[in-house]
Amino acid sequence: MPYHDLRSYLQALDQQQQLLRIVEPVKPEPDISAAACAVNKLGENAPALLFDNIQGYHHARIAMNIHGSWPNLAIAMDMPKNTPLKQQFFEFVRRYQRYPGEVEYRSQAPWQEVVIENDINLFDILPLFRLNQGDGGFYIDKASVVTRDPSAEGQAFIDSQNVGIYRIEVKGRNRLGIQPVPAHDIAIHLQRAEELGIDLPIAITIGNDPMISTVGAMPILYQQSEYAMAGALNGVPYPVVTTALTGLDVPWGSEFVLEGRIISRLREAEGPFGEFTGHYSGGRRMPVVEITKVSHRRDPIYEHLYLGMPWTEIDYMMGINTSAPLYVQLKEAFPEVVAVNAMYTHGLIVIVATKTRFGGFAKGIGMRVLTTPHGLGYAKMVIVVDETIDPFNLPQVMWAMSTKFNPQYDLVTVPGLSILPLDPASEPAGMTTKVIIDATTPKAPEKHGHFSQELRDPVTTEDWVAKLHALMLSH
Amino acid sequence: MNIEPESCPRCDSAGPEILSHSPVAGVWTVYHCNVCFFTWRSTEPDFITDGRKYPANFKFTPAEMAQFDIMPAVPELKPR
Repeated sequence: MPYHDLRSYLQALDQQQQLLRIVEPVKPEPDISAAACAVNKLGENAPALLFDNIQGYHHARIAMNIHGSWPNLAIAMDMPKNTPLKQQFFEFVRRYQRYPGEVEYRSQAPWQEVVIENDINLFDILPLFRLNQGDGGFYIDKASVVTRDPSAEGQAFIDSQNVGIYRIEVKGRNRLGIQPVPAHDIAIHLQRAEELGIDLPIAITIGNDPMISTVGAMPILYQQSEYAMAGALNGVPYPVVTTALTGLDVPWGSEFVLEGRIISRLREAEGPFGEFTGHYSGGRRMPVVEITKVSHRRDPIYEHLYLGMPWTEIDYMMGINTSAPLYVQLKEAFPEVVAVNAMYTHGLIVIVATKTRFGGFAKGIGMRVLTTPHGLGYAKMVIVVDETIDPFNLPQVMWAMSTKFNPQYDLVTVPGLSILPLDPASEPAGMTTKVIIDATTPKAPEKHGHFSQELRDPVTTEDWVAKLHALMLSH
Repeated sequence: MNIEPESCPRCDSAGPEILSHSPVAGVWTVYHCNVCFFTWRSTEPDFITDGRKYPANFKFTPAEMAQFDIMPAVPELKPR
């Protein structure tokens, strides 16, 4: 059964030995982020963490590493916990292509249990803490944020709704900084509001079911609905509730809902914040949010995400959901594409496995990656490999590059392209040269190299794989 | 531990304020600088709470802050 709130998902993780409760007393800093950073160093099957004995608090509960392993993601997809990555990827693609799924509008939500509209102090309501020691403050980084385009009208206004995950710095009792990266949809809404000189209503939801966070972190098309995508991925209608104050639709199952507005045409110093690039970014003047209403469940759970030097929770969380849309968009243009691995640093490197039809075809595929919506902000390096190479198998990819690639014929550099400003190598921030590495076997009329005698495994090797595997299990 | 800080560890401005006390009395206090928006907790290590030990390459002055790049750019007003 798909999960419609964090609590039921935590229960499922617990039942499958993918949840660790930390019962010893911990300090807010450095223990919570240190433990979350440490758990990913234990490997790709790491459990989620639940802290409920935090020094200084009576009742606070903090959940970390919810999405931080392949088994956790399989459970969120309602698949067996040891489902291999490649299988998860193709199942995700299958469900992604069922879009749109259904959205179910409910009139009441558990997060309506407690409402605070006066004297809001987010430091009293949420167990905020510093993630990385160079961070400029205490951040909220696992919130699904909802906005609409204020310049649209009627059905277009309704349909413009966007759900995305954006970093948020808590800068005062009810004052936030927010990072709307220009390539992401909230920046479009904010631009429209600021062109009109009006504030942008916003709802910030914390502590969600695993699927809406997965969708919020995905590069889906602007006109697509994240809630309809969550419904498609879950295979059942996704429940939402319309908020009274901002009129935005938020997940039925959220632990916390913060409502307010992005103040028009205001920028204030924000950050720095340790990012998924393994570097801090900040020292920028960014928009400001004022919160005027907080709603939450009783005994709420504060869900957070550690990010820093890869791999942390965010790399698992963004792995499949970045690769799948890219794969589908590439395949629309070129059915020859077989698989896409965009898991490294949110797709700053993309590996595409494809059949090739003629000389130069692979480079064309590479260029199509650069012009996808996600490619505009990422895909600094595109590696194209033959369909016989598994792009999720790095030793195979390294073999392809080491043997097929000759920079004289196989390297394309394209200057002056856009990239997310968080890329520490971008110069200026937001601009970069990109590179396509053609590691496919040359096709006519290309003739360079001598590839005619490729080695194949002995006949019956595959039968022996199965046989030996069975023997090892029964040994 | 709960000596009120006189200045912000990051930008050295005077007058940091108290944002929050621990619900369990006396365990920690969260402070905030109204100039550079830095936030810290009294129980953090001294390289965060003490301006003399705060890493130099993370410190900045209010003057430097005023020169930070803006993201995203504020668009031109376009009345309906």
